[in-house]
Amino acid sequence: MKRFALAGNPNCGKTTLFNNLTGSTAHVGNWPGVTVDKREGMYKKCSEPISIIDLPGIYSLSPYTPEEIISRNYILDEKPDCVINIVDATNLERNLYLTTQIMEMDVPMVIALNMMDMVDKQGDKIDEKELENRLGIPVVKISALKGTGLKELMDRALETSLKARKGKTVLEGCELYHLINDVRIALEGQSIENPLFHAIKLVENDELEVKMHATTIKMVDEFKSTFKNDLFGTDFEALVADARYKYISKNYSPLMTKKEKGVKLSKSDKADKVLTNKWAGIPIFLVILFAIFHLTFGEDFLYLSKIFALPSLEDLGLLVEVEGEMVASNFGVSLLACIYDGAIFTPGVILFNLMDLITSTLFGYITLGLEALGASEWVLGLVGDGILGGLGGVLSFVPQIIVLLLFLSILEDTGYMARVAFILDRIFRRFGVSGRAFIPMIMGFGCSIPAMVNTRTLTDERERTLTLRTIPFFSCGAKLPILVAVAGAVAHMVGMGDGSIISFLMYVVGMVVAIVSIILMRSTTQRGEVSPFIMELPAYHVPSFKGLMIHLWDKTKHYVKKVFTIILASTIVVWFLSNFTWNWNMTGDINNSILASIGQFLQPFFTPLGFGSQLNSFGWVFVVAAVTGLIAKEEVIATFGTLGALFVALGTGVPELAAEGANDVYLMVLGTGITWPALISFIVFNMTTIPCFAAVAAAKGETTKGKFKWTLLFWIVTSYVVSTIVYVVLSWWWTLFIFLAVAVGVVFAIRAYNKKHPVKGVN
Amino acid sequence: MPIALAPIGQDLRVLKITADEETKRHLEDIGITVNSTIQVISKSGKTSICLVKNSRLALDGTLSMKILVA
Repeated sequence: MKRFALAGNPNCGKTTLFNNLTGSTAHVGNWPGVTVDKREGMYKKCSEPISIIDLPGIYSLSPYTPEEIISRNYILDEKPDCVINIVDATNLERNLYLTTQIMEMDVPMVIALNMMDMVDKQGDKIDEKELENRLGIPVVKISALKGTGLKELMDRALETSLKARKGKTVLEGCELYHLINDVRIALEGQSIENPLFHAIKLVENDELEVKMHATTIKMVDEFKSTFKNDLFGTDFEALVADARYKYISKNYSPLMTKKEKGVKLSKSDKADKVLTNKWAGIPIFLVILFAIFHLTFGEDFLYLSKIFALPSLEDLGLLVEVEGEMVASNFGVSLLACIYDGAIFTPGVILFNLMDLITSTLFGYITLGLEALGASEWVLGLVGDGILGGLGGVLSFVPQIIVLLLFLSILEDTGYMARVAFILDRIFRRFGVSGRAFIPMIMGFGCSIPAMVNTRTLTDERERTLTLRTIPFFSCGAKLPILVAVAGAVAHMVGMGDGSIISFLMYVVGMVVAIVSIILMRSTTQRGEVSPFIMELPAYHVPSFKGLMIHLWDKTKHYVKKVFTIILASTIVVWFLSNFTWNWNMTGDINNSILASIGQFLQPFFTPLGFGSQLNSFGWVFVVAAVTGLIAKEEVIATFGTLGALFVALGTGVPELAAEGANDVYLMVLGTGITWPALISFIVFNMTTIPCFAAVAAAKGETTKGKFKWTLLFWIVTSYVVSTIVYVVLSWWWTLFIFLAVAVGVVFAIRAYNKKHPVKGVN
Repeated sequence: MPIALAPIGQDLRVLKITADEETKRHLEDIGITVNSTIQVISKSGKTSICLVKNSRLALDGTLSMKILVA
């Protein structure tokens, strides 16, 4: 089967074209560096099926970041049958720079002149026939977004792929051409493939090439000693870059006729005047971030109930008393209670309540049905307590996670994300990472796995390590149930009403831990200079509704699939382990179960964190929940759900908290006698410790071989230390001064050590 | 003068790039070469947003001091 590779500058529309050609739903965003790995799909509308490979965006074939190496190596080593070079027609000159480099390889290629819809809209014209003539390569006008010109592009690519193409260069007029040609002949003599391409890269002194052709580089060095150029000296790569751009602007650029001459400030530039302003930029970003969390977690939409005194449903007389509890008088009121009860809820909470209503009603019927069928007691226990109790807690959080993801996708698609990276660069730099690291970090709020893979876009290895290690502290969607449920229980214990402020503070704590640990590592194990920040800012655009929905559907599918596979399986295991003793007898006393004995063994280690030996005989449940969290973080709350049902059976008392998850946690509180500082410490521990197995695997894949053990150790130590501090300080406030004194001592010790052992390039 | 101190909204010619090899190469690849034209669109402190061949590039403060223009 034929393979066509899509190559082009970052953010020029490769993935949009890929999705359109193959019917895939790969993630598209409006910032450079969304695609960080190659992916394959099928195009079926030609006379034969064609495999399409989407590659990470590159500015040139001399890679700057690790994900760019993937693209270069694919084109060079995997030898696709044709390279489809996507050129953003709104920025012809810069995009053709890469084209002139791909041209130098012996690979068939066609040019897809993308974003023609934008060019037409601006009233500009491109003479693509003449461009094709001058380049000697087929040029097809397309719009990947609108889907125009794709059939023609593929037909011409197929036709082109049939005949081999010899590499050619635009550097023939350049004063280095003589040298290039000599090196080419030498390489050809060694029967090296793509001799012209390698010759030019060698002359440019490309790091990878010099290593590959150690003998031939001598030729270049010899020539260099006799060469002199007034402007560039012997900086050949600058000379070559200049020659390319000169050729492009002389021969290709005039083929574009602009309706309006000169550069005018666009709408994007005007927006940037405000959004990237020195003073306003960061406050605006913080407001947006707070708004996102408010709309996802807040139980009081825009704080309306604080402004206007709104009556609760009870005040309105819509509730009736059943067995001493106030419940909705009919289903309509139950529905209303999802949206309003003394305050108008925010979208995230409304969806959460609706989902909770659906799952609890549905699960109620399932249990009733099983009872009517005369199912045995253990089946009722397994299905009712084990499976439904576990899944119910997790499923009700799905809508809230989706709302959070929706907002994050909007940030990406508008192009604002790149700006935030830029405005945060000034602050991040002081901590020891460039603003570029912000993008994987904020992705971490969705899911750690893609966030970790995205660290490839960072240039510096140390910076990658730092970012990779701190990504779990940006609490992911799967940790959201832990946050909301435990915070809900804490709020009830300290009499704070709802837990949204505690949830928000926990997010802040995670970020603070990230910053502090970055500073600490930068001044101890990961010393070195912060890499420069260079980022292209894409034009703002309104996110497409279809694109957002496709993205959300993908994420939802992934999450729900996880609930019904890994989490379903492990809740069943948890139920069995908590109902059976080591000699496989079913037990009525959970404390005799297998699970309890495992938990009790580990329990003492967590005493400094507040959920260890100081709790009563049920205290092991927190340790067990944290350990099951390694499978998937949703599992923590699922475990509480499963165990909570058993606690009720033991008669520990039945609390009525609004949300399902919080209710399960509160059962644990009643059963174990845990204090609220220990609960907060429990959240912090789960947030900062080793992430789920899938994320661990992703992090391992991005780390240099043999160094990953340090990252694991880092997570264990950080979570243990931070949770201990949180528990101790919240329990006995005066200990804060002891910790501060220790912190000051550590800072001085590190400073003194670093002064004695300076690292090159560090001030 | 370095970009960080250059006037906003004027065509400027790049004279010299004093960054390290790797960064310089990357700058060249995205269009900031010696002798090329560049325009500063906005600045906040030393960090700047420049117009380079019809695309907007954000550069941090240290780097903005290392690209000399006239």
